[in-house]
Amino acid sequence: MLEVKQLSVSFGAVQALDSVSLVVPRGEVTAVIGANGAGKSTLMRTLAGLVKPQSGSAELDGVQVTGRAPEDIVRSGLALIPEGRSTIPELTVEENLHLGGLWRPSAERKATSAEIYDMFPVLAERRRMRSDTLSGGERQQLAIGRALMCDPTCLLLDEPSLGLAPLIVTQILQLVNQLAREKNLAVLLVEQNAVTALRVATTGIIMNLGTVVRVGTAEEIAADDELRDAYLGS
Amino acid sequence: MTTFIDYLLGGFSSGAVIALFALALVLVWRSTRIVNFAQVGQAMFTTFIALAVQQSTGSWFLALLAGLVGGGILGLIVYALVLRPVQRLDTSGSIIATFGVLISLQALASMIWGGEPQSFPPPVANNGLEIAGRIWPISWYDVLVYAVTAVLVVALTLLFTRTSLGLSMRASAFNPEVAKLSGIRVNRMLAFGWALAGVVGAVAGVLVAPTASLSPNSFDILLIFAFTAAVVGGLDSLIGAVAFGIGTGLVLALVTGYGEAGDAPIIVLILLAITLVVRPGGVFGRGKSRAV
Repeated sequence: MLEVKQLSVSFGAVQALDSVSLVVPRGEVTAVIGANGAGKSTLMRTLAGLVKPQSGSAELDGVQVTGRAPEDIVRSGLALIPEGRSTIPELTVEENLHLGGLWRPSAERKATSAEIYDMFPVLAERRRMRSDTLSGGERQQLAIGRALMCDPTCLLLDEPSLGLAPLIVTQILQLVNQLAREKNLAVLLVEQNAVTALRVATTGIIMNLGTVVRVGTAEEIAADDELRDAYLGS
Repeated sequence: MTTFIDYLLGGFSSGAVIALFALALVLVWRSTRIVNFAQVGQAMFTTFIALAVQQSTGSWFLALLAGLVGGGILGLIVYALVLRPVQRLDTSGSIIATFGVLISLQALASMIWGGEPQSFPPPVANNGLEIAGRIWPISWYDVLVYAVTAVLVVALTLLFTRTSLGLSMRASAFNPEVAKLSGIRVNRMLAFGWALAGVVGAVAGVLVAPTASLSPNSFDILLIFAFTAAVVGGLDSLIGAVAFGIGTGLVLALVTGYGEAGDAPIIVLILLAITLVVRPGGVFGRGKSRAV
C-alpha cells in the first residue's frame, strides 16, 4: 500500500502540489484524473524521487520513500513509467527490458524477464531489434515490462494512453488492471482520458490546481456529470 | 612502391595512438555528451607521472601501471571537481571548462617538471626491423602499440555490449532519467566513464611518449587529430574512432611523405570540414543531429 500524506511541492512561486493526501491499496488500480496543470505528473515525479517535495511524505508499506534518490526508491519497489516514450531508442528491446533489473542478481533477472516475455510475446520476437522499430503500443508494453523487471510492489503510470490509438489504450489499461490483481500491485494511474481510466480503476481521485478535490469509487465519479463538467472540461 | 609502403607503415603507428586518444574522447562523449578538450592534457600529466615512476624504479611496466591508475584518478577528479558543478549550468560552459582544465594542467606540469622536452625510454627496441634484407619503418615497439590498441578496443567493445556495467553506462548516457528510474546509479556511471577515458588516454600518452618527446604541450597536436577521428567516426562509435584514428595517421603519413610535413594538419582539418558538411552525424553516426 502506498500512503501519501500532505505532500506539497512548489516550483518558485507556483504551488504545484498543495497538501495532497491519498491512499493506493494493493491489488487494484487507483486513477488520478484532472485537467492539464492539475499537478498529476508532478505528483508522480515527486513519488518517484525526481522532484523534491517541500513537505509531507509518502510511505510504501510503511517505509518512507520521500527524500530518497530515484534509484533507491525504485529498488525499494516503487516503479514509475514516465509520460511519453520512455524506452531508449538506441538500445535493443532486450537491453531496454533488462535495464529495469540490472541491480538484481542475474538469475532473478533472467527469471523475471522470461515471465515478461511470456506476457508480451511480441517483445520476445523482437528482442534483438532496436526498440524504435516497435509500434507505440509495443513500446508501452516494453516500458511496463521494464518497470516490472524491478519486481515492484507499487506501479505508477503517467499517461500511458498518450499518443496511442483508442483500441490499444483499452488493451494497455486492461493489462494494467490484470497486473494489479494478479501480482497484487498497488497501481496509481494518471490519465487525462478519464472515461477509459475509470473503467479499469476501483477508486477515482480528481485533482485540480494541485489539490485533491474528490475521492470516490470509480463508478461514482464516472457517473457524476457535474464533476466531469467542472474539472475535466469534457 | 616500397616508399609508399614505408609511409603507410609509419602512418599505422601514429594512427594507433590517435585512435586511442579518439577512443578516450568517445568514452567521455558517450557518458556525459561533452567533448573533453582536456583529454590530452590529462594524458600528458599522467605520462609525466609515469615517467617519474619509470625514472625512480627503472620499470616500464610499473610506469604504465602508474599511468593507468593516475589517468583514472585524474579523470575522476576533473569530472567531480570541474565538470559536474559546471554541467548543471549548461553544456557550452562545460566545453569551455575543459579548455580551462587543459591550460591549468599544462601550467601545473611546467611548474612541476619544467618546459624542457624529456625523453621517455621505450620498453622494447624502437628501431626499424630488418626483414628480407631491408630495414622497414616498423619496430617491436610499434608491434606493442598495435597489440595494446587492439586489446583495449576489444575489451571496451565487450564491456559495452556484453556486460551489465556497459549497459548501465549506455543507458545513463542516452537517457539519464529513465536510467535513474530503472535503479541505475547514473552519477556513478558518468564518473566511471570519465575515469575509463582517463585510463585510455593515459595508455595513449605512455605509448606515444617514447616515439616523440614529453613536454607540457607535446600532445596538443594529437588533440586535433583525435578530435577529427572521433567526430568523423560519429563520436558515439568506438569502432569509428579507431578506424578513423588509424585513417588519420595514414593521411598524415602520406601528406608528410609526399608533400610538406606542415601541410598535414591542414589537410586533416579540411577532411574534417568536408565530413561535417556531407555527413554531419559522422560516418559511423546514426540518426539524430547533435549539438556540439
